[in-house]
Amino acid sequence: MKRPECIRIAFACGIVALIFTIFSGRLVYLHITKNKEYKQLAAEKHLMRQVIHAKRGMILDRNGEILASNLPVRTVVADASLIKKPAAVAALASQFLGLKEADVLRKISSQKKYIVLKKEVPEEVYVAMEAAMQKANLRGVTFEQDAIRTYPNGETLGHVLGFLDHDGKGVQGIELTMNNLLAGKNGYRFIERDRTGKEIMLYRGTEQEPVHGSNIRLSIDMSLQSIIEEEIDKTFKELKPETVTGIMLDPKTGEVLAMANRPCFNPNEPGKAEPEQMKNRAIIDMVEPGSTFKIVVAAGALNEGTVTEKTSIFCENGRFLYGGRILKDHHGYGDMNVHEILVKSSNIGSAKMAMLMGGDKYYEYVRKFGFGDRHGIELPGEICGLVHPPARWDKLTITRMPMGQSVAVTPLQITMGMSVIANGGHLMTPHIIKSVEDRDGTKILEKTPKVVREVVPEKTARFIANALVGVTQPGGTATYARVNGFEVAGKTGTAQKVSSKGGYAAGKYVVSFVGFMPAEDPRFVCLIMVDDAKIASSLNYGGLVAAPVFSRVAEKAARHFDLTPTLPPIPLQQLPMAKADTQEETTH
Amino acid sequence: MNTSLAPQIRSNPIQIAKVLKYIAFVVALGALGLSYVYLKNIQFALGDEIRLTEKKIKQVRAENEVLLAKTTELSSRRALQQRMSNGSLQVVQISGDKIARLTPALPATEDGVLRTASNERAAR
Repeated sequence: MKRPECIRIAFACGIVALIFTIFSGRLVYLHITKNKEYKQLAAEKHLMRQVIHAKRGMILDRNGEILASNLPVRTVVADASLIKKPAAVAALASQFLGLKEADVLRKISSQKKYIVLKKEVPEEVYVAMEAAMQKANLRGVTFEQDAIRTYPNGETLGHVLGFLDHDGKGVQGIELTMNNLLAGKNGYRFIERDRTGKEIMLYRGTEQEPVHGSNIRLSIDMSLQSIIEEEIDKTFKELKPETVTGIMLDPKTGEVLAMANRPCFNPNEPGKAEPEQMKNRAIIDMVEPGSTFKIVVAAGALNEGTVTEKTSIFCENGRFLYGGRILKDHHGYGDMNVHEILVKSSNIGSAKMAMLMGGDKYYEYVRKFGFGDRHGIELPGEICGLVHPPARWDKLTITRMPMGQSVAVTPLQITMGMSVIANGGHLMTPHIIKSVEDRDGTKILEKTPKVVREVVPEKTARFIANALVGVTQPGGTATYARVNGFEVAGKTGTAQKVSSKGGYAAGKYVVSFVGFMPAEDPRFVCLIMVDDAKIASSLNYGGLVAAPVFSRVAEKAARHFDLTPTLPPIPLQQLPMAKADTQEETTH
Repeated sequence: MNTSLAPQIRSNPIQIAKVLKYIAFVVALGALGLSYVYLKNIQFALGDEIRLTEKKIKQVRAENEVLLAKTTELSSRRALQQRMSNGSLQVVQISGDKIARLTPALPATEDGVLRTASNERAAR
C-alpha cells in the first residue's frame, strides 16, 4: 500500500475514534457525573407517588353493633391530555354521572391533567361506567377510591359519635377525640405509568403498606340508648321543652351506657343541622341542679359527724329568714331528721345542715363529689361547671348552694354525683370508650374502671341511698319514678332557669330526676333532665315531668338487664297531666 | 510442462468450522436476546395480570364493604323501628311463662306478663 493511502485510512480511523471518544466521554459524563440529577429528572417525569388510603376504623357499641362505618365510593377524575375523543367521553360521563354533557365537554377541553368530574360516585355506577368506557375504547378517565362515613342509626347517638369534615377529619364527638386511632396512616407506593396512564407493574418502586384505623368499641349499649332516645323524644314532642337530656351509666364501673339529647341532629347530614342541635348538652351545658344537689350536703354532714342519722333539725315551718331574705319550703315542716329532709326535699333543712358544716367543709364535699371539675370523659368540650370557693360567696350562698342554687353543673356531673351514692361512696371516672381493637378484633387497649377517690364511706352512702328510696315511696317527691317490682332510689330537682339577662326567668324551670335501680344493688344510674317544659308552672316539677320518664326508661332497662322483680306490684298511678286531660274530655 | 509458468490459483478456502462457530455464536446471541425479549414480555404480561388481579381484589373488597354498609343500614335500629311503625315487622311480647329463668321471678301482674311500669302514659 502506498503511503498516502495509509495516511488517509489512519486519518479516517482517527476521526471515527475521536467521534466515538467524544460520544463515550459524553456518555460517561451523563451516566456517571450527572447520574443523580438525571435520575431525579426521570423519576419526576415517570414515577409517581401513589397514596394507598388507610381505611377509617369503625365505631361499635359494647355488643359489636356498628355505629359508624365506611361506604366505598369513587371520585371520577379526567386527564385531558389522555382523552382522544372528548365528545364521546363527555357523552358517556354525562350519561352515567348525571352531569350536563356541555359542562363535561367544557371541563375536559381545558387540557388539564387533573379534572374532578364528580365525587362520591357509588361503586355500581363506577363498575358500569368503566365497562362502558372499555367497550367504547375510551381512555383518560380514572376512578379514585374514596369512602364516605355513614351512621346507620341516623340521629341516634349523633352527639356522641360526631361527624367528619370534608377532609375526613373528626369534627365532633368520638370521631374527633379518637381521630388519630380511627384514621390510621396512609401508605404509598412509587409507580410508573405507560403512555395510556396504566401502571407498569415491572417498575413498581418502594411500597409502604397503610396502617388501617382501629375500631373503637364504646361502652354504650344500643338497646339502652334506644330506650332513652325513644322516651326523651316522646317528652320533647309532648312537652315541647327547650332541651331534654338523658344519661345512663353503670355506677360500679363509670361506663356510660346511654347518652342522648334533644334537639339532635343527623351526623349523615351535618350541614343541615343548626349549631344548637349539635350541642352535647350532657357535658357542655351548665345548669343549676336544684334539689338533686341535696345529696351532697346530706352525705357531707353525716360523714363529718355534723349530724347523725337521728339528729333533728328544725325546718322553721317552711319560712326561714336568713341574710335578710326568706328561704321557703314547699310545705311547712317542723323538726326533721336527715332522712326526712331528703324525702321531703326541704330547702331549709339542707341549708341548716350546710351552715352547721361550715362553708369550707361543705365546699370540700362539693368538690369531692366531682362538681367544679372536668371528669375527663372521652368526648370533646366537656366543661367543669361553676363552683365558687367560699371566699367568693355572699351571705346567702351557704343557704342557696345546698338546694342547688348559686352553683352550675353539667348533667354528667349530677349523674356521677348520684353514682357515688349508688356504688357505696366512690367517685369513678366516667368513660365511654370500652376498648380499642384492630381490624381482626384483637384488643389493643382496654379501659378498666378507675376510682378517682372515696368520697364517703359505704355506710354513709347506704344511709343516703335508703333515704333516696323514700323519695320514691308514697309521701316522697318522686312517687312517679317507681317501677313495679323494684326498689328505686333517686332525687328530684326543680330549678328556676337562670336568665341570660341576670336573675331567674319567670315561669321557666329546669326539672330533673336522677336515680338508680335496683336500690339494693344498682345496675344503672339514670338522669332525665327537661329544660323549660311548656306546661303549667304548677305541674312543672322534677317529680311530675322527669320522674315518669325515668320510670318508663327504668322499666324497659329492667327488662333489658333481665332483672328479677323483688317487690310486689304497685297500683297504677295517673299523672296530674293525664287527670287534667281526662277532666277536660269529660267536660267537653 | 513448465509448471512454473502456469497461473497460480490463489485459493481462499472457507473455513467451515470457523464460520459455524461464528454462526453458532450469533445464533446464541440472538437466542439470548430473543429470550430476554420473551421473558420481558412474559414479565409485562404477568405484571398486567397482577394489576388486574389487584384491581379485582380491590373491587371485591369494595363491594364487600358496600354490602356491609347496606346490611348495617338495613339492620340498624332506626330501620327496624321504621319497619315496625310501617307494620312490615311485628314484635310479639314474650309472656313471663315463656321465659326460662335460673331464679324464679315474681309475677308482676295477674296476667303473668312481666310488666313493670307503674305509670305508663297509656293509663290515661
